[in-house]
Amino acid sequence: MSSNISSLTLLRSLYQPQQAFAELAGSEPSARRIFLSYSLWLLLLPPVFALIGAANFGWRLGADQPLFMATGDLLTISIGYFLALLFGLFSTAIISRWMAKTYGASVSLGRHMALITMVGQPLAMASVAHLFPDVLVNVLVLIPATIWGMYLLYAGIPVALETPPERGMLMASALMAWLLVAAVSLLGISMSLWVLGVGPLLGV
Amino acid sequence: MQAADNKIYQDKIVIRLIQFSVVWAVIAIGAGVYIAAELVWPTIDFGQYWLSFGRLRPVHTNGVIFGFGVSALMATGFYSVQRTSHVPLFAPRLAWFVCYAWQLIVLLGALSLLAGWNTTKEYAELEWPFDIAIAIVWICFGVVFFGTIAQRKIKPIYISNWFYGALIIVIAMLHVVNSLALPVSIDKSYSAYAGAQDAVVQWWYGHNAVGFLLTGGFLGMVYYFLPKIAGRPIWSYRLSVVAFWAFVYAYIWAGPHHLHYNAIPEWVQSLGVIMSVILLAPSWATLVNGVMTVSTAWEKLRTDPALKFIVLSLAFYGLATFEGPMMAIRSVNVVSHFTDWTVGHVHSGALGWNAMITYGTFYFLVPRLAGRELHSTRLANIHFWLAFSGTMLYIIAMWAAGVSQGLLWLSIDGLGELSFDFKDIMASMTPYYLLRLIAGLVFLLGTVLMAYNLFMTLKGQRSVKVTPPAVDPAYGVNA
Repeated sequence: MSSNISSLTLLRSLYQPQQAFAELAGSEPSARRIFLSYSLWLLLLPPVFALIGAANFGWRLGADQPLFMATGDLLTISIGYFLALLFGLFSTAIISRWMAKTYGASVSLGRHMALITMVGQPLAMASVAHLFPDVLVNVLVLIPATIWGMYLLYAGIPVALETPPERGMLMASALMAWLLVAAVSLLGISMSLWVLGVGPLLGV
Repeated sequence: MQAADNKIYQDKIVIRLIQFSVVWAVIAIGAGVYIAAELVWPTIDFGQYWLSFGRLRPVHTNGVIFGFGVSALMATGFYSVQRTSHVPLFAPRLAWFVCYAWQLIVLLGALSLLAGWNTTKEYAELEWPFDIAIAIVWICFGVVFFGTIAQRKIKPIYISNWFYGALIIVIAMLHVVNSLALPVSIDKSYSAYAGAQDAVVQWWYGHNAVGFLLTGGFLGMVYYFLPKIAGRPIWSYRLSVVAFWAFVYAYIWAGPHHLHYNAIPEWVQSLGVIMSVILLAPSWATLVNGVMTVSTAWEKLRTDPALKFIVLSLAFYGLATFEGPMMAIRSVNVVSHFTDWTVGHVHSGALGWNAMITYGTFYFLVPRLAGRELHSTRLANIHFWLAFSGTMLYIIAMWAAGVSQGLLWLSIDGLGELSFDFKDIMASMTPYYLLRLIAGLVFLLGTVLMAYNLFMTLKGQRSVKVTPPAVDPAYGVNA
C-alpha cells in the first residue's frame, strides 16, 4: 500500500474517475501534503478568476449595465470567497471522516481530503467562467460541473473509502445534505455582508 | 360476517386515496409546469382568463398541497394509525365520506379558482362555501383518526400518530380562524380581520400550514414508514418525542417572518425570527433520527427503490429546514424577499422533501397493498434520478435568479437612485425561467412514470386483507 498519491491522480479523477478512486483506495495519503500540494492551489482558482473577471467586466446580473465595484471591495470579496472555500473543504473533509464511522468507510483523513478535493475539482475548474462574471453564463457552465461533481461523490465514496455501494450511497446522500446546507449558507452570508455594506451598494 | 369484516384493516380506502393523490400530483405539477412556461412565453394564456397565471397558480398550489399532499397524508395516516393501534379504522363509512368529499372539494375548488373566485389569501384562496366544507370534512377526518386511536388495543400512542394528530388539530384551528369572513355573495366574502391584523392572521395560518401540514404531517409519514422500510426501530424514540414537543411549541410563532419590513410591530417580526431560528433544533433532531435509523439498513437499498427516495428526501429536508430559518433573518430577508429564491426554497421543500418522501412511501406501500412486486424497479430507479436532477436544476435556477433579482432591485448609484429598472431586471430572467421549466418537466416526467408503474402494480389486483396481530400483553391497554 503506497503512502501517497500523486497530484496527477487527483487531476485524473476529472476524466478517469474510476482509476483515480481505485488508486486512492490503495493509499494512505497525508492530508497535509494533499492540501499543500494540490487542494490549496485549486481553491485559489475561483477567487482569482472572480477578481479578474469582476475588475474587467463587472458583475453582469442580467441588467443592461454591469455592476462595477472598487478594487478594494473586489479584493475583500475574493478573500472572503477564498476563506469560505477553505472552510468548505476542511469542514467537508472532517464531516466526511466523522460520517465514515457510521457507514463503515475508511477513516483516513488524507483519503477524505483527496476525495473531497476530487469532488470539488470540476467546480473549481469550471470557475474559469468567473472570468466573465455573467450570472447566466456561470450558471450554465457550473450546472454540468455540479452534476459531474455529484457523480464523483456518489461513485467515489464506495470505491475510494472502501464501503459497500449501498452504504456509500447513504453516506453520499448524508454529505449531500451538508453540501446543500453549506451552499445555501454561502448565499445567506453573502447577502448579510452586502446588507452590512461589503460589496455592491444596496439601498437598505 | 360483519364481525370478521371488522377485524380486517380498512386498506381499500388507503389505495383509493393513494390513487387520488397520484392523479392530483400529475394534474397539479402539470399546472405548475404550464405556468412556468407562461413566465417564459407570456402569450400562451391565449387571452383566456382561466388560463392566466393569476388563476392557474393557485390551482397549482392548492392541487399540490390539498390534492396531492393531503390525500397522501390521509392515506398514510389511515394506514399507519390502524397498524399502530392494532384495530381497523373507526367509522369506516365516515372515512370513505372523508375520502370522496375531500376530492370533491379539491376538484370544485380548483374549478372555482379557474372561474376567478379567490379570497386572495395565499394557500387559503378558496372562497367561504369551500371553507365551510373543508372544516366539516376535516373534523370528520379527525373523528376517524382519533376514534381509531381511542379504540386502540395497544397502550402507547406511537410517535407518528402524534404528528398526524397535531396535523389534524392545528390545521383545523388555523383554517377556521383564518377563514372567518363575512360573505356578501356565493363567490365573495370579506375577511373578519382588517389591515395588518389580517396579514398577521394570514401568515400565522400560511406558515403553520407549511409547518403542520407540509412538515409535521409528513414527519408522521417518516416516523412510521422510515423504520418500516428500513426494518429497524427508530434510532432514538426519546429524541423523537422531544423533537415533537419542541417542534409544536416553536413552529406556531414563526409566521411573522413572512412580514418583515411591513406594517406590523417590529417586536412581532423579531419574535418570528427568534422562533424560526430556534425551530432549526427540533427540525434537525428529526433529521438526525431519520439518518441514523436508515444508516444501518443499507442492505435494503439493493432491492428497495423506496428507500432511495426517503434517504434523499431527508437530505432536502435538511436543506429546506436550514434555508427557512436563514431566510427568516432580517438581513438575509431584505434581499431575498419577493425574489425567486423564495420560490426555490419552497420547491426544495415541496419537490425534494414532500414529494420524494411521498413517492418513496408509495413505492413501499402499493406493492404491499396489492400483494405483488412493484411492476418495474427499473422505472422506479429512473424516476429517482429524474426527481433528483429535476429538483437540483430547479433550485439552482431559482437561487441564481433570486440572488440576481435581490441584488439588482436594491442596487443604488452614487446619488442614491435605483440603478436598474424593475422591468428590465425581470425581462432578463427568461433564461432562468426556461431552466426552471425544464426542471419542472423532468420532475413531471418522473411523476408520470411513477403513476404508470403504480397503476400497473395495482391493475387487476384486489387489496390484500390484513388482520391486526395479537398485542403483547405488556403493552395492552389494560396492562
